[in-house]
Amino acid sequence: MYGFEAMTFNIHGGYLEAIVRGHRSGLLTAADYNNLCQCETLDDIKMHLSATEYGPYLQNEPSPLYTTTIVEKCTLKLVDEYNHMLTQATEPLSTFLEYIRYGHMIDNVVLIVTGTLHERDVQELLEKCHPLGMFDSIASLAVAQNMRELYRLVLVDTPLAPYFSECISSEDLDDMNIEIMRNTLYKAYLEDFYRFCQKLGGATAEIMSDLLAFEADRRAVNITINSIGTELTRDDRRKLYSNFGLLYPYGHEELAVCEDIDQVRGAMEKYPPYQSIFSKLTYGESQILDKAFYEEEVKRLCLAFEQQFHYAVFFAYMRLREQEIRNLMWISECVAQNQKSRVHDSVVFIF
Amino acid sequence: MRSSENGIESSKEISQSEENVINFLDSMDTYLILVDSLSSALRQGWFELASARQSMGASRVNSALFDLKSHHASTTLQVDEHEDIELPHFTLCKWASSDDPEKYSEEAKFQEDELLRNKSDSPRPQQRGATSHCSEYQERSAEIGGSPVKVDNHAERERFKSLSVFGALVSPKLRATQSSFEKALEIVVEISNVRSSLLRSYDQVHEELKNTK
Repeated sequence: MYGFEAMTFNIHGGYLEAIVRGHRSGLLTAADYNNLCQCETLDDIKMHLSATEYGPYLQNEPSPLYTTTIVEKCTLKLVDEYNHMLTQATEPLSTFLEYIRYGHMIDNVVLIVTGTLHERDVQELLEKCHPLGMFDSIASLAVAQNMRELYRLVLVDTPLAPYFSECISSEDLDDMNIEIMRNTLYKAYLEDFYRFCQKLGGATAEIMSDLLAFEADRRAVNITINSIGTELTRDDRRKLYSNFGLLYPYGHEELAVCEDIDQVRGAMEKYPPYQSIFSKLTYGESQILDKAFYEEEVKRLCLAFEQQFHYAVFFAYMRLREQEIRNLMWISECVAQNQKSRVHDSVVFIF
Repeated sequence: MRSSENGIESSKEISQSEENVINFLDSMDTYLILVDSLSSALRQGWFELASARQSMGASRVNSALFDLKSHHASTTLQVDEHEDIELPHFTLCKWASSDDPEKYSEEAKFQEDELLRNKSDSPRPQQRGATSHCSEYQERSAEIGGSPVKVDNHAERERFKSLSVFGALVSPKLRATQSSFEKALEIVVEISNVRSSLLRSYDQVHEELKNTK
């Protein structure tokens, strides 16, 4: 029953909740970002990061430094923290933490399949995969010719197997089918994660429902905007939307028929939580929509730490770190391209 | 009488040399403007690419996804060296069908012949605005023929196809990146043509200077 977690949570989850709250205090602050935004070179960024928790990961990197190197090392830190928490976790927290990886596994599967379709070397593709999404048989994905083989040869033994039931077909893999597969898998994953959190109940269910509903709604908007002017039909577009969230089902019906960004705005402005996001856009503009969504997400993730004795803090921490890594990638790119005046276009402050 | 004829001839020579110098300076001005435009277009393109990576994620926008299967180039460069025109002329043929490139490249060649005839009659523009690429002239001839939508749809389809290496549903930022690099390619071709004209003007001025010495 909600409200009685305080009596039993700390038995199995107290240590890891303390760990994750400690990690949260290591997130970069606005002062850190201001210093980073004033850097002239990537070596300056490395020097500033050496005073943060990223220091040990970057200190041995030789010059010249590249943006991808900074991102790779920062991601390594996130992976180390995640693995530490996963190895210490007991059920059901360990399953909850595994769910956080599945999104990256889907991205990796699509990367390998797409790269193989384009006749790229498997080793090269494996190097580009996200470390959180790796699994043992991932290299075997390169031999599959269609989704049925993909499932039968490789994915049947992975946690993604249940998500394939909606997209198994014998059609050969091409760019559109792969895209539909990506979004169908992610939809199934989000719905499964949502059901799992509902089963956990309590504060975890309440907070995670809000976070996952926001994720589902954001995906629906991105799918709509990215599919404008493409060959994706309205029915196919509607099938890619998740079956939960604030926009489900009436918002989805409106989004499915949108033909431009202004119609998307018209559909979204009827929902008060998203009115503030779309009010920041001028008519016909979608450039700052991503930043607006990230800012809203960060606000919700930070609020998850206001309550104790639930698992949503783990999800929130992982997402906040990923946002931080995106910020560092953006700042590094702006510095490398000598575009420092544009650095605040996409940096989202966490604190 | 003879002295006045000599005077008229020398004044014609002077005006011809002044015209050559002015042509040279005009070409130089156009060249510098285009180089600056190219730098801006490339800078904008790289920035938009970083923005697209930020939006879509590094796993969706990276060089490991480029297509290594052999396929026809959707954009080609034609070099025309006609006998009656001294300078080589470069033409960009954009978005030829990757399925049937010969069909569209033949149409592009026909349009380019018309372009050459038009260019030889009209003065060279000062600013970049007469980028010679086949798709624009295809659109103009299509307008005369009454089917602009068909040509635009074809170009859009080819654009979508070339971006599909990153996935079928890409962010508008990635499409903006494509437009910026497309514009940069047009400017590169225009620079080549202007440089060719610039070098000819330089040779003429140089020769006149040698003759006057």
